[in-house]
Amino acid sequence: MGDALQADLIGALGAASVLSNPTQLRTYECDGLTGYKVTPRLVALPSSAEQVAAAVAACAKHNVPFVARGAGSGLSGGALPVADGVVISLQRLRRILDIDPVNRRAIVEPGVTNLAVSHAAAPHDLYYAPDPSSQQVCTIGGNIAENSGGAHCLKYGFTTHHVYALEVVLADGTRTWLGGPTGEQAGYDLRGAFLGSEGTLGITTKAVIRLLRKPESVRTLLADFPSISAAGSVVTDIIGSGIVPAAIEMMDRLAIEAAEAAVHAGYTLDTPAALLIELDGPEAECQSLFTEVERICREHGTTKIRIAADADERAGMWRGRKAAFAAVGRISPNYFVQDGVVPRTRLAEALDRIAEMGRDAGIRVANVFHAGDGNLHPLVLYSEAAGEHDRAEQLSKQIAELCVEFGGSLSGEHGIGTDKACSMPTMFSGTDLATMATLRSAFDPAGLANPGKVLPTPRLCGEKPGPYQPHPLEAAGVIERL
Amino acid sequence: MSSNDSEPHDLDAAAEVMRTGGRILIRGSGTGTDWAGRPSTVDTVLHTSGLTGVLAYNPADMTVAVRAGTTLRDLQDQLAEHGQWIATDAARIEAGASVGGLLATADSGPRQHVYGPLRDVVLGVTVVLASGEIAHSGGHVIKNVAGYDLAKLFSGSFGTLGLLAEVVLRTHPRTATSRTLAVPADAAAAYRLAGEVRDKTVEPTALSWSDGRLLVRFEGTEAGVVPQLDRVALPGAELLDGETEKAAWAADAALVRGSAGETVIRVGALPSRFPDLAELVDKLAAEHGARAVFSSWLGVGVHTIVLRGGDAAAHAGVLIGLHNGFAESAITLHRRADGVDGLAPAWGPPPPAVGLLRSVKQAFDPDGRLGPDRFAPWLGEG
Repeated sequence: MGDALQADLIGALGAASVLSNPTQLRTYECDGLTGYKVTPRLVALPSSAEQVAAAVAACAKHNVPFVARGAGSGLSGGALPVADGVVISLQRLRRILDIDPVNRRAIVEPGVTNLAVSHAAAPHDLYYAPDPSSQQVCTIGGNIAENSGGAHCLKYGFTTHHVYALEVVLADGTRTWLGGPTGEQAGYDLRGAFLGSEGTLGITTKAVIRLLRKPESVRTLLADFPSISAAGSVVTDIIGSGIVPAAIEMMDRLAIEAAEAAVHAGYTLDTPAALLIELDGPEAECQSLFTEVERICREHGTTKIRIAADADERAGMWRGRKAAFAAVGRISPNYFVQDGVVPRTRLAEALDRIAEMGRDAGIRVANVFHAGDGNLHPLVLYSEAAGEHDRAEQLSKQIAELCVEFGGSLSGEHGIGTDKACSMPTMFSGTDLATMATLRSAFDPAGLANPGKVLPTPRLCGEKPGPYQPHPLEAAGVIERL
Repeated sequence: MSSNDSEPHDLDAAAEVMRTGGRILIRGSGTGTDWAGRPSTVDTVLHTSGLTGVLAYNPADMTVAVRAGTTLRDLQDQLAEHGQWIATDAARIEAGASVGGLLATADSGPRQHVYGPLRDVVLGVTVVLASGEIAHSGGHVIKNVAGYDLAKLFSGSFGTLGLLAEVVLRTHPRTATSRTLAVPADAAAAYRLAGEVRDKTVEPTALSWSDGRLLVRFEGTEAGVVPQLDRVALPGAELLDGETEKAAWAADAALVRGSAGETVIRVGALPSRFPDLAELVDKLAAEHGARAVFSSWLGVGVHTIVLRGGDAAAHAGVLIGLHNGFAESAITLHRRADGVDGLAPAWGPPPPAVGLLRSVKQAFDPDGRLGPDRFAPWLGEG
């Protein structure tokens, strides 16, 4: 039976594009969330949209689940394989098919990296706005699956705001287009429903995306503050004065320590909080608003302001911020990263609670986050060797659910994936989740596209939706958890 | 046949109507009732006029939750007190369109140029399904990727998937200064000038060719707007501000809304296809004996075409010609002159994913009770 699927895949893609050797398969056992590992049955490496459709059709024919995978840099286990399923890697679909400066659009294949689009558009003075921290490696297909954001989405929005149309392969192998030539719709916005569905509604094989003109002026500053709450007040006042900055990022002492150790960005080591604030737009406007931002920083007792003198210095400031996740490895052997969102005005309160929860658990938490939109990225630092895994995992989950309690969300940009599926009932009612499942079944009646992600299932979370509890059979060793 | 009018005042009452009302037409303020396919006879008209008011507004969080029957005009007035607004300027707002109605019809305005369509500022929705179940998606924060985005699905659904009962929106700060440059132009000149504006280092908030005039709007701080006006340097342009500016955009909105006897069609086509579109429409109009007036958002490629003069057959002829000539574009029929309905379909050739549209409709409204024939013939009715 397994042979029949493998034979069909080989027939469609060629023997060299279907991996079945256990050593090779293990390369695909996890994504950026390395705590979950599952070895897939097979890995398919299509080179074209036609081959993606053929691979999916083969899976449908044999009723075998499939999991699409871009760069594997996702942080929520969205590309975690299914044990008896096929991983379909989009890494070979990496052509930029068109850069159209007149219409300010690019047509790209899903395996193209986020940053490659901006590089290709740069000669026309254009760029692709969503900029997840992993933009050097993450792919457009993955960005579409996750509706990725980035540091600049307070002003520029998320992936969904920058995609006009998608060519997708549905779970039965049908290839079709969602969306249209502009933001004008005729019929339901299926493009928008597909975006951010984490691979559970199908696979993107081409995307028509929006390019923006590079802003005339960009001004960036890094300001230190004596407390998180002082930095938080700055954010409130900036927003309150009607300024929409391109980015406002906050880092706490631990995160700064880690980032500085890794990339020497010139951050102040002993400051309790720092804000990285960026404005962009027309030169004159940018300058006058930047002066206002500086004034607000001083009003709240900034201890040091550094203004980027040029593009290199700006890049240096950002390097520290963007490297912060990886840099945490320098101060802790292991860590979890969370991605919850709280209403921006409750940031200080949420951070206090997180600090308190960390103290109670005896676990350190570093914070680096998008302060403008309340998207936290608490880094839960722990040591596997010291046996802290379970406590840290528990804390990490509690932090995500705390965000819901504060009126926010489990995830701002990393996605629900495997990681947070069992927490979904804290944010959504049974009816909400059933309605989402209705949409899923309209796209994929057989449930073959990335099963076990986003929506909680008894298999994943126990019979009762909510915190994961081992099934009695699982505890007895009769069945195993995926 | 007459139908029952129903005006629920809370979610539970709305759920009861949805569950038991038979074939249901959902009606907001009635400004878009003429849009899309003509609904066939229904048992119940569900008015959202009882579902009004702001549920939660925290200016510092830049979010506001409203009941969907609230008119956007009222909402904008309330937000203005805090220096904010919902960044959309659909022509129907002045006519009293409701938040839910604007989203269900996927309406938008010229500032789509920078802010995107209305769906882009929607953060969450509460919907009542045909089954009477009440479901939420999204949330109350600007950034959120948890679960599927049902707000997008319901955008443009014309009441055929369920009732939009509550909507959470993102607010934007109001800008201090607004100025518009206006210059008379025919279609070719407008396209050329719009291209020149695009290639300059300026950031207009709207770029519209309206009734033979190119309107280029700049908003922001005084310091930001003034240098851009200088830089654009449109020969022969008149600078509009204050009342003259307001009047120019009000006239544009009135054109887009249309009036009795006119047929109004919205087309979304790749911006570079505008010259072809203008040529085709002129040719069709001349051929059929009607007159076509445009309000075109040239930067984004969304055009409202208003047909005046001529009889129903003339209007229907232009519509069918557009459906055939711009089949890959999104074309929605808004208002139409009496008699057009019998002569031309409201929707053109179905989009590639029409099978998926049908599956979604079937999944959400298995008995086909909601907004029957709104999407005829795409959804297999009619």
